[in-house]
Amino acid sequence: MAMLAIEQRYIDEMIAHARQEAPLECCGVLGGRDGRVLKLFRATNAERSRYRYNIDSQELFRINRECEENGWQFLGIYHSHPDSEAYPSPTDVGLAFWPESLYFIVSLRDAGNPEVRAFRIRDGEITEEEIEIVRR
Amino acid sequence: MAVTVYIPAPFRRLTNNRSYVEGHGQTVAELLDDLKARYPALGDMLQGEGGDLPSHISIYVNNQEIHSLQGEATPLKDGDEVAVIPVIAGGQDLTSEQMLRYSRQIMIPDVGVAGQRKLLDARVLVVGAGGLGSPAAVYLAAAGVGTLGIVDSDELDLSNLQRQILHHTPDVGRPKVESAQETIARYNPDVRVIPYRERLDAANALEIVGQYDVVVGAVDNFDTRYLLNDASYLAGKPYVDGGVFLFEGQVTVFIPGQGCYRCLFPAPPPAEVVPKPSQVGLLGTLPGVIGVIEAFEALKLILGLGESLAGRLLIFDALAMEFRQVRTRRDPQCPLCGDAPTIRELGEYKALSSSPLAGRDEG
Ligand SMILES: [Zn+2]
Repeated sequence: MAMLAIEQRYIDEMIAHARQEAPLECCGVLGGRDGRVLKLFRATNAERSRYRYNIDSQELFRINRECEENGWQFLGIYHSHPDSEAYPSPTDVGLAFWPESLYFIVSLRDAGNPEVRAFRIRDGEITEEEIEIVRR
Repeated sequence: MAVTVYIPAPFRRLTNNRSYVEGHGQTVAELLDDLKARYPALGDMLQGEGGDLPSHISIYVNNQEIHSLQGEATPLKDGDEVAVIPVIAGGQDLTSEQMLRYSRQIMIPDVGVAGQRKLLDARVLVVGAGGLGSPAAVYLAAAGVGTLGIVDSDELDLSNLQRQILHHTPDVGRPKVESAQETIARYNPDVRVIPYRERLDAANALEIVGQYDVVVGAVDNFDTRYLLNDASYLAGKPYVDGGVFLFEGQVTVFIPGQGCYRCLFPAPPPAEVVPKPSQVGLLGTLPGVIGVIEAFEALKLILGLGESLAGRLLIFDALAMEFRQVRTRRDPQCPLCGDAPTIRELGEYKALSSSPLAGRDEG
Protein backbone atom coordinates (compact mmCIF):
# COMPACT_ATOMS: atom_id res chain seq x y z
CA MET A 1 0.00 0.00 0.00
CA ALA A 2 1.29 3.46 -0.85
CA MET A 3 2.37 5.82 1.89
CA LEU A 4 -0.30 8.18 3.19
CA ALA A 5 0.21 11.77 2.10
CA ILE A 6 -0.84 14.43 4.56
CA GLU A 7 -0.31 18.16 4.74
CA GLN A 8 1.41 19.58 7.81
CA ARG A 9 -1.66 21.68 8.59
CA TYR A 10 -3.66 18.53 9.37
CA ILE A 11 -0.97 17.37 11.78
CA ASP A 12 -1.03 20.80 13.41
CA GLU A 13 -4.82 20.68 13.58
CA MET A 14 -4.78 17.31 15.36
CA ILE A 15 -2.32 18.68 17.93
CA ALA A 16 -4.40 21.83 18.40
CA HIS A 17 -7.52 19.71 18.92
CA ALA A 18 -5.74 17.50 21.46
CA ARG A 19 -4.53 20.55 23.39
CA GLN A 20 -7.96 22.12 23.35
CA GLU A 21 -9.64 19.03 24.81
CA ALA A 22 -6.91 18.17 27.33
CA PRO A 23 -7.02 16.66 29.88
CA LEU A 24 -9.78 14.79 28.03
CA GLU A 25 -9.07 12.73 24.93
CA CYS A 26 -10.01 14.24 21.58
CA CYS A 27 -10.97 12.35 18.44
CA GLY A 28 -11.71 12.81 14.76
CA VAL A 29 -11.45 11.48 11.24
CA LEU A 30 -9.24 12.24 8.23
CA GLY A 31 -11.19 11.81 5.02
CA GLY A 32 -9.60 11.57 1.59
CA ARG A 33 -8.97 9.66 -1.59
CA ASP A 34 -6.08 7.87 -3.29
CA GLY A 35 -3.94 8.03 -0.16
CA ARG A 36 -4.26 11.81 0.11
CA VAL A 37 -5.98 13.47 3.07
CA LEU A 38 -8.51 16.06 1.91
CA LYS A 39 -10.45 16.98 5.05
CA LEU A 40 -10.11 16.75 8.82
CA PHE A 41 -13.33 16.15 10.73
CA ARG A 42 -13.19 17.06 14.40
CA ALA A 43 -15.61 14.90 16.36
CA THR A 44 -17.13 14.96 19.83
CA ASN A 45 -15.79 12.44 22.32
CA ALA A 46 -19.08 11.05 23.64
CA GLU A 47 -17.23 9.57 26.63
CA ARG A 48 -15.88 12.96 27.76
CA SER A 49 -13.03 11.07 29.37
CA ARG A 50 -9.30 11.26 29.84
CA TYR A 51 -9.07 7.49 29.32
CA ARG A 52 -11.67 6.74 26.68
CA TYR A 53 -12.84 8.14 23.37
CA ASN A 54 -15.84 7.21 21.31
CA ILE A 55 -16.90 9.37 18.40
CA ASP A 56 -20.48 10.53 18.98
CA SER A 57 -22.57 8.07 16.97
CA GLN A 58 -24.68 10.69 15.22
CA GLU A 59 -21.54 12.61 14.20
CA LEU A 60 -19.91 9.43 12.96
CA PHE A 61 -22.91 8.86 10.74
CA ARG A 62 -22.73 12.38 9.30
CA ILE A 63 -18.98 12.20 8.71
CA ASN A 64 -19.35 8.81 7.04
CA ARG A 65 -22.13 10.12 4.82
CA GLU A 66 -20.14 13.19 3.76
CA CYS A 67 -17.17 11.01 2.88
CA GLU A 68 -19.34 8.57 0.91
CA GLU A 69 -20.93 11.42 -1.02
CA ASN A 70 -17.48 12.73 -1.98
CA GLY A 71 -16.12 9.31 -2.80
CA TRP A 72 -13.66 9.55 0.12
CA GLN A 73 -12.54 6.95 2.60
CA PHE A 74 -11.64 7.22 6.27
CA LEU A 75 -7.92 7.37 5.51
CA GLY A 76 -7.14 8.23 9.10
CA ILE A 77 -8.74 8.12 12.53
CA TYR A 78 -7.11 10.21 15.23
CA HIS A 79 -7.30 10.52 18.98
CA SER A 80 -5.12 11.87 21.76
CA HIS A 81 -3.31 10.31 24.70
CA PRO A 82 -3.16 13.23 27.14
CA ASP A 83 -0.80 11.49 29.58
CA SER A 84 0.79 8.57 27.78
CA GLU A 85 2.87 7.74 24.74
CA ALA A 86 1.75 7.91 21.11
CA TYR A 87 1.33 4.15 20.81
CA PRO A 88 -1.89 2.12 20.64
CA SER A 89 -3.08 0.93 24.05
CA PRO A 90 -4.68 -2.50 24.48
CA THR A 91 -8.02 -0.65 24.52
CA ASP A 92 -7.16 1.01 21.21
CA VAL A 93 -6.31 -2.35 19.70
CA GLY A 94 -9.38 -4.09 21.12
CA LEU A 95 -11.67 -1.46 19.63
CA ALA A 96 -9.93 -1.02 16.26
CA PHE A 97 -12.73 -1.93 13.86
CA TRP A 98 -11.44 0.06 10.87
CA PRO A 99 -8.51 -2.00 9.57
CA GLU A 100 -8.19 0.03 6.37
CA SER A 101 -7.75 3.30 8.27
CA LEU A 102 -4.52 4.58 9.76
CA TYR A 103 -4.84 5.24 13.47
CA PHE A 104 -3.13 8.52 14.38
CA ILE A 105 -2.29 9.09 18.03
CA VAL A 106 -1.33 12.48 19.42
CA SER A 107 0.61 12.26 22.68
CA LEU A 108 0.71 15.24 25.03
CA ARG A 109 2.84 13.41 27.58
CA ASP A 110 5.57 15.98 27.02
CA ALA A 111 3.41 19.10 26.88
CA GLY A 112 6.01 21.16 25.03
CA ASN A 113 6.73 18.47 22.44
CA PRO A 114 3.54 16.82 21.25
CA GLU A 115 4.16 13.68 19.25
CA VAL A 116 2.04 12.31 16.40
CA ARG A 117 2.47 8.75 15.14
CA ALA A 118 0.39 6.61 12.79
CA PHE A 119 -0.38 2.90 13.01
CA ARG A 120 -2.17 0.24 11.08
CA ILE A 121 -4.12 -1.95 13.52
CA ARG A 122 -5.30 -5.16 11.88
CA ASP A 123 -6.38 -8.38 13.61
CA GLY A 124 -4.76 -7.22 16.81
CA GLU A 125 -1.43 -6.53 15.09
CA ILE A 126 0.10 -3.08 15.37
CA THR A 127 2.32 -1.81 12.54
CA GLU A 128 3.73 1.69 12.63
CA GLU A 129 3.48 3.39 9.24
CA GLU A 130 5.52 6.19 7.83
CA ILE A 131 3.56 9.10 6.52
CA GLU A 132 4.54 11.59 3.88
CA ILE A 133 4.18 15.25 4.78
CA VAL A 134 3.30 17.09 1.59
CA ARG A 135 2.79 20.66 0.50
CA ARG A 136 -0.67 21.84 -0.25
CA MET B 1 -40.64 -5.30 5.18
CA ALA B 2 -37.82 -4.86 2.71
CA VAL B 3 -35.19 -2.33 3.71
CA THR B 4 -31.85 -1.23 2.33
CA VAL B 5 -28.86 -1.83 4.59
CA TYR B 6 -25.78 0.34 4.18
CA ILE B 7 -22.52 -1.51 4.76
CA PRO B 8 -19.47 0.67 5.53
CA ALA B 9 -15.99 -0.05 4.20
CA PRO B 10 -14.68 -2.21 7.08
CA PHE B 11 -17.60 -4.65 6.74
CA ARG B 12 -17.71 -4.95 2.96
CA ARG B 13 -15.40 -7.93 2.92
CA LEU B 14 -18.22 -9.68 4.78
CA THR B 15 -20.85 -8.82 2.14
CA ASN B 16 -18.99 -9.69 -1.07
CA ASN B 17 -17.83 -6.07 -1.34
CA ARG B 18 -21.33 -4.69 -1.57
CA SER B 19 -22.05 -1.29 -0.02
CA TYR B 20 -25.78 -1.92 0.13
CA VAL B 21 -27.63 -5.15 0.76
CA GLU B 22 -31.32 -5.85 1.06
CA GLY B 23 -32.75 -7.00 4.37
CA HIS B 24 -36.11 -8.01 5.80
CA GLY B 25 -37.84 -7.67 9.16
CA GLN B 26 -40.59 -5.89 11.07
CA THR B 27 -38.09 -4.59 13.59
CA VAL B 28 -34.36 -4.00 13.80
CA ALA B 29 -33.98 -7.23 15.80
CA GLU B 30 -35.67 -9.24 13.04
CA LEU B 31 -33.56 -7.53 10.41
CA LEU B 32 -30.39 -8.45 12.32
CA ASP B 33 -31.50 -12.10 12.42
CA ASP B 34 -32.15 -11.96 8.67
CA LEU B 35 -28.68 -10.54 8.01
CA LYS B 36 -27.05 -13.13 10.26
CA ALA B 37 -28.73 -15.90 8.27
CA ARG B 38 -27.65 -14.57 4.89
CA TYR B 39 -24.23 -13.14 5.75
CA PRO B 40 -22.85 -15.37 8.54
CA ALA B 41 -19.51 -13.52 8.67
CA LEU B 42 -21.34 -10.22 9.14
CA GLY B 43 -23.62 -11.98 11.62
CA ASP B 44 -20.60 -12.83 13.77
CA MET B 45 -19.78 -9.12 13.94
CA LEU B 46 -23.37 -8.26 14.94
CA GLN B 47 -23.51 -10.80 17.72
CA GLY B 48 -21.71 -10.23 20.99
CA GLU B 49 -21.60 -12.34 24.09
CA GLY B 50 -25.05 -13.68 24.97
CA GLY B 51 -26.28 -12.96 21.44
CA ASP B 52 -26.91 -9.26 22.07
CA LEU B 53 -25.85 -6.52 19.72
CA PRO B 54 -22.34 -5.61 20.83
CA SER B 55 -21.84 -2.09 22.16
CA HIS B 56 -19.23 -1.40 19.49
CA ILE B 57 -21.78 -1.53 16.67
CA SER B 58 -24.13 1.38 16.02
CA ILE B 59 -27.31 0.80 14.04
CA TYR B 60 -29.10 3.67 12.35
CA VAL B 61 -32.62 3.73 10.93
CA ASN B 62 -33.15 6.60 8.51
CA ASN B 63 -30.09 8.45 9.88
CA GLN B 64 -31.05 8.04 13.56
CA GLU B 65 -29.04 5.89 15.92
CA ILE B 66 -31.47 3.35 17.37
CA HIS B 67 -30.73 4.11 21.03
CA SER B 68 -32.52 7.41 20.41
CA LEU B 69 -35.43 5.42 18.90
CA GLN B 70 -36.67 2.15 20.39
CA GLY B 71 -33.44 0.20 20.32
CA GLU B 72 -33.64 -3.19 18.64
CA ALA B 73 -37.44 -3.00 18.91
CA THR B 74 -37.46 -0.03 16.51
CA PRO B 75 -40.09 -0.86 13.85
CA LEU B 76 -39.15 -0.87 10.18
CA LYS B 77 -41.23 -0.03 7.16
CA ASP B 78 -40.72 -0.74 3.47
CA GLY B 79 -38.00 1.37 1.95
CA ASP B 80 -36.33 2.34 5.26
CA GLU B 81 -32.60 2.88 5.15
CA VAL B 82 -30.62 1.08 7.80
CA ALA B 83 -26.89 1.51 8.41
CA VAL B 84 -24.61 -0.75 10.46
CA ILE B 85 -21.46 1.14 11.46
CA PRO B 86 -18.73 0.08 13.90
CA VAL B 87 -17.76 2.66 16.51
CA ILE B 88 -14.54 4.61 16.38
CA ALA B 89 -13.32 4.23 19.94
CA GLY B 90 -10.41 3.43 22.21
CA GLY B 91 -8.42 5.28 24.80
CA GLN B 92 -5.17 5.46 26.70
CA ASP B 93 -4.48 3.25 29.67
CA LEU B 94 -3.11 4.31 33.02
CA THR B 95 0.62 4.95 32.81
CA SER B 96 2.97 2.62 34.67
CA GLU B 97 3.58 5.49 37.07
CA GLN B 98 -0.14 5.77 37.77
CA MET B 99 -0.44 1.99 38.19
CA LEU B 100 2.23 2.22 40.89
CA ARG B 101 1.00 5.43 42.53
CA TYR B 102 -2.52 4.07 42.96
CA SER B 103 -1.59 0.41 43.40
CA ARG B 104 -2.90 0.16 46.96
CA GLN B 105 -6.38 1.23 45.91
CA ILE B 106 -6.31 -0.49 42.49
CA MET B 107 -5.82 -3.79 44.33
CA ILE B 108 -9.22 -3.34 46.03
CA PRO B 109 -11.43 -5.67 43.96
CA ASP B 110 -14.30 -3.16 43.75
CA VAL B 111 -11.95 -0.39 42.62
CA GLY B 112 -9.47 -1.87 40.19
CA VAL B 113 -8.18 -0.07 37.11
CA ALA B 114 -11.72 0.79 36.03
CA GLY B 115 -12.39 2.49 39.37
CA GLN B 116 -9.14 4.39 39.16
CA ARG B 117 -10.14 5.66 35.72
CA LYS B 118 -13.44 6.81 37.25
CA LEU B 119 -11.54 8.74 39.91
CA LEU B 120 -9.22 10.33 37.38
CA ASP B 121 -12.22 11.28 35.25
CA ALA B 122 -14.16 12.64 38.25
CA ARG B 123 -14.72 16.31 39.04
CA VAL B 124 -15.22 17.25 42.68
CA LEU B 125 -15.94 20.75 43.96
CA VAL B 126 -14.55 21.50 47.42
CA VAL B 127 -16.13 24.65 48.81
CA GLY B 128 -13.82 26.10 51.43
CA ALA B 129 -10.05 25.59 51.70
CA GLY B 130 -10.00 25.77 55.50
CA GLY B 131 -10.14 23.28 58.35
CA LEU B 132 -12.56 20.86 56.64
CA GLY B 133 -11.61 21.54 53.03
CA SER B 134 -7.89 21.01 53.62
CA PRO B 135 -7.97 17.35 54.68
CA ALA B 136 -10.80 16.66 52.22
CA ALA B 137 -8.88 18.13 49.28
CA VAL B 138 -5.58 16.49 50.26
CA TYR B 139 -7.10 13.00 50.36
CA LEU B 140 -9.17 13.50 47.22
CA ALA B 141 -6.05 14.66 45.40
CA ALA B 142 -3.91 11.83 46.73
CA ALA B 143 -6.53 9.31 45.57
CA GLY B 144 -6.28 10.75 42.06
CA VAL B 145 -9.57 12.63 41.67
CA GLY B 146 -8.64 14.17 38.33
CA THR B 147 -10.27 17.57 38.66
CA LEU B 148 -10.70 19.46 41.92
CA GLY B 149 -12.51 22.80 41.98
CA ILE B 150 -11.55 24.77 45.09
CA VAL B 151 -13.58 27.77 46.18
CA ASP B 152 -12.24 30.23 48.76
CA SER B 153 -12.08 34.00 48.70
CA ASP B 154 -9.79 34.41 51.73
CA GLU B 155 -6.12 34.98 52.25
CA LEU B 156 -4.20 32.78 54.63
CA ASP B 157 -3.90 34.02 58.20
CA LEU B 158 -1.25 32.74 60.60
CA SER B 159 -4.02 31.50 62.92
CA ASN B 160 -5.34 29.20 60.15
CA LEU B 161 -2.25 26.99 60.09
CA GLN B 162 -3.22 25.19 63.30
CA ARG B 163 -5.69 23.12 61.22
CA GLN B 164 -5.60 24.10 57.53
CA ILE B 165 -3.07 21.62 56.21
CA LEU B 166 -3.40 22.69 52.58
CA HIS B 167 -1.24 25.70 53.43
CA HIS B 168 2.21 26.32 54.85
CA THR B 169 3.87 29.01 56.92
CA PRO B 170 5.42 30.89 53.96
CA ASP B 171 1.91 31.18 52.47
CA VAL B 172 0.60 33.61 55.12
CA GLY B 173 -1.03 36.53 53.34
CA ARG B 174 -1.47 34.67 50.05
CA PRO B 175 -4.84 33.69 48.58
CA LYS B 176 -5.75 30.26 49.95
CA VAL B 177 -6.72 28.93 46.54
CA GLU B 178 -3.18 29.67 45.31
CA SER B 179 -1.39 27.85 48.10
CA ALA B 180 -3.96 25.05 47.89
CA GLN B 181 -3.19 24.63 44.19
CA GLU B 182 0.56 24.46 44.89
CA THR B 183 0.20 22.00 47.73
CA ILE B 184 -1.99 19.70 45.65
CA ALA B 185 0.40 19.84 42.70
CA ARG B 186 3.15 18.59 45.00
CA TYR B 187 0.98 15.80 46.35
CA ASN B 188 -0.19 14.65 42.96
CA PRO B 189 0.57 16.15 39.55
CA ASP B 190 -2.27 14.06 38.02
CA VAL B 191 -4.79 16.40 39.59
CA ARG B 192 -5.96 19.53 37.83
CA VAL B 193 -7.03 22.21 40.30
CA ILE B 194 -9.53 24.83 39.20
CA PRO B 195 -9.25 27.69 41.71
CA TYR B 196 -12.19 30.00 42.40
CA ARG B 197 -10.95 32.97 44.41
CA GLU B 198 -14.43 34.26 45.04
CA ARG B 199 -17.40 33.89 47.34
CA LEU B 200 -20.07 31.49 46.23
CA ASP B 201 -23.32 33.41 45.86
CA ALA B 202 -26.71 33.11 44.21
CA ALA B 203 -25.28 34.58 41.01
CA ASN B 204 -22.42 32.09 40.45
CA ALA B 205 -23.27 28.97 42.49
CA LEU B 206 -25.39 27.08 39.96
CA GLU B 207 -22.96 27.71 37.13
CA ILE B 208 -19.99 26.46 39.18
CA VAL B 209 -21.75 23.53 40.88
CA GLY B 210 -23.14 22.41 37.51
CA GLN B 211 -19.63 21.62 36.25
CA TYR B 212 -18.91 19.00 38.92
CA ASP B 213 -19.97 15.43 39.75
CA VAL B 214 -19.92 15.77 43.54
CA VAL B 215 -20.00 18.82 45.83
CA VAL B 216 -18.12 18.76 49.13
CA GLY B 217 -19.25 21.50 51.51
CA ALA B 218 -16.46 22.59 53.85
CA VAL B 219 -17.74 25.94 55.05
CA ASP B 220 -18.15 27.57 58.43
CA ASN B 221 -21.32 29.58 57.93
CA PHE B 222 -24.98 28.83 57.46
CA ASP B 223 -25.56 31.14 54.49
CA THR B 224 -23.15 29.22 52.29
CA ARG B 225 -24.41 25.88 53.56
CA TYR B 226 -27.99 26.64 52.53
CA LEU B 227 -26.78 28.09 49.26
CA LEU B 228 -24.72 24.96 48.53
CA ASN B 229 -27.61 22.73 49.51
CA ASP B 230 -30.00 24.54 47.19
CA ALA B 231 -27.55 24.83 44.30
CA SER B 232 -26.59 21.14 44.51
CA TYR B 233 -30.24 20.08 44.59
CA LEU B 234 -31.23 22.34 41.70
CA ALA B 235 -28.21 21.16 39.66
CA GLY B 236 -28.96 17.51 40.52
CA LYS B 237 -25.59 16.91 42.21
CA PRO B 238 -24.86 14.88 45.35
CA TYR B 239 -23.80 17.15 48.19
CA VAL B 240 -21.52 16.01 51.01
CA ASP B 241 -22.06 18.25 54.03
CA GLY B 242 -19.83 18.56 57.05
CA GLY B 243 -19.63 20.89 60.02
CA VAL B 244 -17.82 21.23 63.32
CA PHE B 245 -18.43 23.05 66.61
CA LEU B 246 -16.25 22.90 69.73
CA PHE B 247 -15.73 19.15 70.16
CA GLU B 248 -18.55 17.93 67.96
CA GLY B 249 -18.71 17.27 64.26
CA GLN B 250 -21.49 16.30 61.85
CA VAL B 251 -21.37 14.85 58.40
CA THR B 252 -23.95 13.57 55.94
CA VAL B 253 -24.68 13.19 52.23
CA PHE B 254 -27.64 14.61 50.36
CA ILE B 255 -28.64 12.91 47.13
CA PRO B 256 -31.19 14.94 45.13
CA GLY B 257 -34.66 13.52 45.75
CA GLN B 258 -33.64 11.73 48.96
CA GLY B 259 -33.80 14.70 51.28
CA CYS B 260 -31.74 17.83 51.73
CA TYR B 261 -30.30 20.08 54.40
CA ARG B 262 -33.58 21.99 54.57
CA CYS B 263 -35.47 18.77 55.33
CA LEU B 264 -33.22 18.40 58.35
CA PHE B 265 -32.94 22.06 59.32
CA PRO B 266 -35.69 24.10 57.63
CA ALA B 267 -34.09 27.37 58.69
CA PRO B 268 -30.72 28.40 60.09
CA PRO B 269 -30.41 29.59 63.68
CA PRO B 270 -30.81 33.33 64.20
CA ALA B 271 -27.65 35.25 63.50
CA GLU B 272 -27.52 36.61 67.11
CA VAL B 273 -27.06 33.13 68.60
CA VAL B 274 -24.49 31.97 66.07
CA PRO B 275 -21.02 32.91 67.26
CA LYS B 276 -18.47 33.97 64.69
CA PRO B 277 -16.42 30.88 63.82
CA SER B 278 -13.20 32.75 64.57
CA GLN B 279 -14.36 33.20 68.19
CA VAL B 280 -14.89 29.51 68.88
CA GLY B 281 -12.00 27.40 70.05
CA LEU B 282 -11.18 24.28 68.16
CA LEU B 283 -8.54 21.58 67.92
CA GLY B 284 -7.50 21.05 64.31
CA THR B 285 -7.97 17.32 64.60
CA LEU B 286 -11.78 17.75 64.75
CA PRO B 287 -12.22 19.23 61.26
CA GLY B 288 -9.46 16.80 60.26
CA VAL B 289 -11.68 13.83 61.14
CA ILE B 290 -14.82 15.30 59.59
CA GLY B 291 -13.07 16.52 56.42
CA VAL B 292 -11.54 13.09 55.85
CA ILE B 293 -14.97 11.46 56.25
CA GLU B 294 -16.34 13.93 53.68
CA ALA B 295 -13.57 12.92 51.27
CA PHE B 296 -14.32 9.26 51.93
CA GLU B 297 -18.01 9.77 51.12
CA ALA B 298 -17.11 11.61 47.90
CA LEU B 299 -14.80 8.74 46.86
CA LYS B 300 -17.53 6.18 47.62
CA LEU B 301 -20.03 8.13 45.53
CA ILE B 302 -17.64 8.27 42.56
CA LEU B 303 -16.73 4.59 42.83
CA GLY B 304 -20.25 3.38 43.67
CA LEU B 305 -18.86 1.70 46.79
CA GLY B 306 -20.79 0.65 49.88
CA GLU B 307 -23.53 2.61 51.63
CA SER B 308 -23.31 6.37 51.51
CA LEU B 309 -24.34 8.53 54.46
CA ALA B 310 -27.45 9.59 52.51
CA GLY B 311 -30.38 9.26 54.93
CA ARG B 312 -28.09 9.33 57.97
CA LEU B 313 -26.52 12.18 59.90
CA LEU B 314 -23.29 11.02 61.50
CA ILE B 315 -22.46 12.87 64.72
CA PHE B 316 -18.96 12.72 66.15
CA ASP B 317 -18.36 13.52 69.81
CA ALA B 318 -14.61 13.98 70.09
CA LEU B 319 -14.48 14.21 73.91
CA ALA B 320 -16.28 10.90 74.37
CA MET B 321 -14.71 9.65 71.11
CA GLU B 322 -18.08 8.37 69.96
CA PHE B 323 -19.96 8.31 66.70
CA ARG B 324 -23.77 8.37 66.72
CA GLN B 325 -26.18 8.23 63.82
CA VAL B 326 -29.49 9.94 63.34
CA ARG B 327 -31.82 8.77 60.58
CA THR B 328 -32.92 11.50 58.21
CA ARG B 329 -35.48 11.49 55.47
CA ARG B 330 -36.97 13.65 52.80
CA ASP B 331 -39.62 16.00 54.20
CA PRO B 332 -42.65 16.25 51.87
CA GLN B 333 -43.14 19.78 53.26
CA CYS B 334 -39.57 20.82 52.39
CA PRO B 335 -39.60 24.14 50.52
CA LEU B 336 -36.81 22.88 48.25
CA CYS B 337 -37.20 19.15 47.66
CA GLY B 338 -40.74 18.59 49.03
CA ASP B 339 -43.92 17.80 47.11
CA ALA B 340 -44.83 21.46 46.56
CA PRO B 341 -41.52 23.27 46.45
CA THR B 342 -41.47 27.05 46.79
CA ILE B 343 -37.73 27.43 46.13
CA ARG B 344 -37.15 27.04 42.42
CA GLU B 345 -34.11 29.23 42.04
CA LEU B 346 -31.35 30.58 44.21
CA GLY B 347 -32.50 33.54 46.30
CA GLU B 348 -31.00 35.84 48.89
CA TYR B 349 -28.98 33.99 51.49
CA LYS B 350 -28.05 36.77 53.88
CA ALA B 351 -31.61 37.17 55.16
CA LEU B 352 -31.74 33.53 56.15
CA SER B 353 -29.53 33.96 59.15
CA SER B 354 -32.10 36.13 60.89
CA SER B 355 -35.04 33.78 60.50
CA PRO B 356 -36.21 32.00 63.66
CA LEU B 357 -34.58 28.81 64.81
CA ALA B 358 -36.58 25.80 63.73
CA GLY B 359 -34.06 23.01 63.70
CA ARG B 360 -35.51 19.56 63.93
CA ASP B 361 -34.15 16.13 64.61
CA GLU B 362 -35.96 13.32 62.92
CA GLY B 363 -34.62 10.78 65.42
ZN1 LIG C 1 -35.44 19.09 51.36
